[in-house]
Amino acid sequence: MNIKLVLKLVGRVLLLEAAALAVPLAVALIYREDPLPFLLAIAIVAAVGLALSALPAKSQFFTREGFVAVGLIWIFTGLVGALPFMFCGYFATPMDAIFESCSGFTTTGSTILPEIESLPRGILFWRAFTHWLGGMGVLVLATAILPRLGIRSHYLTQAETPGPVFSKLVPKQSQTSKILYTMYFALTALEALCLKIAGMPLYDALIHSFSTAGTGGFSNRNASVGAYDSVAIDVIITVFMLLFSINFAVYFLILTKKWREALASDELRFFLSVVAGATVVLTLFNLGVYSSVGESLRYASFQVAAIISTTGFGTADFVLWPQFSQMIIVLLMFCGASAGSTGGGMKCSRVLLLLRGLRREIHRITHPRCVEVVKLDGKLVSEATLHTLLVFLGAYVTTVFAAALIISLDGCSFAVSFSAALTCVSNVGPGLEAIGPSGNFAAFSTLSKGVMSLCMIVGRLEIFPILVLFTPSTWRQL
Amino acid sequence: MDIVIVGSGKVGFSLAEQLVKEEHNVTVVDSDEEALRRAGDQLDIMTVRGNGVSAAVLREAGVDKAQLLVAATNADEVNMVCCLTAKDLGAKYTIARIRNPEYTTSVGELRRNLKIDMAINPENSTAVEISRLLRFPSAANIETFCRGKVELMGFRLQEGDFLIDTPLYALPDKVKKLSLLFCAVDRGGEVSIPNGSFVPKAGDKLYMVGRPDSLDQFFRQLGRYAPKVRQVFMVGGGKVSMYLAKILDRMGIRLKIIEQNEERCRLISEQFPRVTVICGDGTDSELLESENLTASDAFVALTDRDEDNLIISLYAMQQGIKKVITKCNRQNYAGIVRSLGLDSVISPKFVTASNIVHVVRGMQNSQGSVMNSLHRIAGGGAEAMEFTVGSATRHLGVPLKDLKLRPGVLLAVIVRKNDIIIPQGSSFLQGGDRVIIIARGGGVLDLNDIYAPEFTGGGAAK
Repeated sequence: MNIKLVLKLVGRVLLLEAAALAVPLAVALIYREDPLPFLLAIAIVAAVGLALSALPAKSQFFTREGFVAVGLIWIFTGLVGALPFMFCGYFATPMDAIFESCSGFTTTGSTILPEIESLPRGILFWRAFTHWLGGMGVLVLATAILPRLGIRSHYLTQAETPGPVFSKLVPKQSQTSKILYTMYFALTALEALCLKIAGMPLYDALIHSFSTAGTGGFSNRNASVGAYDSVAIDVIITVFMLLFSINFAVYFLILTKKWREALASDELRFFLSVVAGATVVLTLFNLGVYSSVGESLRYASFQVAAIISTTGFGTADFVLWPQFSQMIIVLLMFCGASAGSTGGGMKCSRVLLLLRGLRREIHRITHPRCVEVVKLDGKLVSEATLHTLLVFLGAYVTTVFAAALIISLDGCSFAVSFSAALTCVSNVGPGLEAIGPSGNFAAFSTLSKGVMSLCMIVGRLEIFPILVLFTPSTWRQL
Repeated sequence: MDIVIVGSGKVGFSLAEQLVKEEHNVTVVDSDEEALRRAGDQLDIMTVRGNGVSAAVLREAGVDKAQLLVAATNADEVNMVCCLTAKDLGAKYTIARIRNPEYTTSVGELRRNLKIDMAINPENSTAVEISRLLRFPSAANIETFCRGKVELMGFRLQEGDFLIDTPLYALPDKVKKLSLLFCAVDRGGEVSIPNGSFVPKAGDKLYMVGRPDSLDQFFRQLGRYAPKVRQVFMVGGGKVSMYLAKILDRMGIRLKIIEQNEERCRLISEQFPRVTVICGDGTDSELLESENLTASDAFVALTDRDEDNLIISLYAMQQGIKKVITKCNRQNYAGIVRSLGLDSVISPKFVTASNIVHVVRGMQNSQGSVMNSLHRIAGGGAEAMEFTVGSATRHLGVPLKDLKLRPGVLLAVIVRKNDIIIPQGSSFLQGGDRVIIIARGGGVLDLNDIYAPEFTGGGAAK
């Protein structure tokens, strides 16, 4: 294990994050707020970053180093993000600050703050900005900006880009990262513009755009998007939440005028059908709660988009919906967005492949000697990929239940502990009952908050990098 | 440049590796997922799974916008069809690996009809490379520049050579007045560019560049001048051996080939009646001895197995053969092989890949100067390049002593019309010159790259 090179990489990413902290610092200065929390944070992060990046290191870098680097960088990132929160004085304990920061960078959007409107604008901006950085990925940004991060930089981005198979858009990783961030930036700017036109103040429009882009869910209003009570804003955010949950490779295909390939994506079709199906079902079942079909459709479509994209904005409190509707919400949390998007969850392509694999296994029981392959987008999916998929499902479910077990030590109900674990691992945000859209995570113990923070990172990196970090064999020399 | 490589085998991978180092956008197509995964894990490339003949697969790999397609699968026919399809889709330049000797004879027509811009035959290229080494037996490696006006050679210093322990500036005048320059040294795998105070040690591999007759003169002074090779002993009768036999036979060199397979022996004997063909195990030292190995001037190990080649080469070296050439495909252990004293190790995949890289560099639009050729020396630790000075080359007419070159870059030779100039402080560049540049670790793509990045001074011509 070439730990020195790994730490050197961590150092360089920290320097990048120190630079990123300058953005909320500027916001704080514009609104004439106390810049000290950000200045202190920048000083600390830059100092640590400089010290680490000055380490002399050999250039050996293999899969193992890649995974450890990703895991460590994300844990460090969670801590870095917490620094301004710690220094601003609005967070009761350091653990609260870390929880909030992890929730931000992993684009979960769960909060421990019962009341957010009184917070300084700089701090709220940083909260949303962490979503934007974490959405496309800190490492993707690093490979796009930092020259010659290392010969095998795709090990880094591979772990950070969600989905069962990682594929580049263009041959060079740095180029791929640049294209991804350019599209990301353009879409975010477009949303901010739309929201501004729909009547949101510029500051709020930026916050909600960052939040939507990363599929995070932090708002600067206590009632989230519901506070604006505007159909136009609801629709804009719904559309963009869905746009950010689609594989960015689809946009690249469209930009390169490969319409047919773009629209032929199995995952895209599956994702859109799930969204449409869930919206129709929720609209019908929620008719008892709302006065008209139109109103029911408005809230149902927004919540479906918010949950499946794992953003977690709220316009309606789904805890008040019928049990069946709530169960649908839980299923959507599991499913999550598309591979290669900024969303979390299991990812639609995995769910689709699991369903196809399941169909094949059932077919095999009735025809024991039949040979059948599983395809995605008309291409053969290797048995190795299917195998990894099953292991991933196992690891995912295990993580959720293990976390729920620890959270239940706090004495909360099954619905709360299970939905808290699931919402963290899937990076959604709200859970059921007390932690629903109008609730918060303040009541949990420090241990639970720590476990949840880790779960968010585990979920964001799709389980394995963090598991690798905690496996003894990773650290053995031989 | 956007380059698509079809086939992630030995040549494909080696080529991709070298092209990625030179910052090209490389996409590799292969139908074997495992081979693709390995390539994608190690190199910064894009991989596309599928058959390289299929237009859909090629389009997915972006052939329509690619400047170059290299078809290097293990089937000649696939490579040809692949090039044809790619050309139709819009690839600018296509290179196909065509190795079957039966196609090689009609490669001209094939190329015309299938719109293949270049056909490359790894075995033939290897044979050509080996024949060059046999033509200049004094040196372990030899490269030529400016149509043979300048040569670059590498040789290993042995205990007792007069160069040892003398700094280069203190060498006797008979060496100094020769038109040559010591341009690189490989000491235990560490490649550096020597200056005047460099002190050579036994075991160093020294590279020098200069006029061919000066180099010959130097070897004579060193007592290392080997007369022309007249008799060659070859083990292994594969494709490389056949091509090599053809070249050597034409040069009038007597050949003895040992090959295990009787069928193959008969084929060689049928094609080359003047060659002595022995059917037997070439790794059997007794057979080698009974066939009078020691009487030959040079020994070439060309069996299919790297290990066998290395062992019998060591044996031949120990038997006192002056020139031993070894075929070894694996590059990873090049350092060990060199430390054993085997200097002339040839890897077919490396030769092929280098040939293609050479073409790619030629295609590249260099702004100020045209790169005419590139050779990797010292096990890839340094590169020797020939440029033609163009009008966009900076600092023309400025004496070298006023210029600052990038560290690790040496301006080795200036060829002005028919004069060969070993640069001094007062030497300068002018338009139309050809220059030979040695760069440690590579990275020089344009003549302007040789100047230190912070160096802008120097001004106009004086």
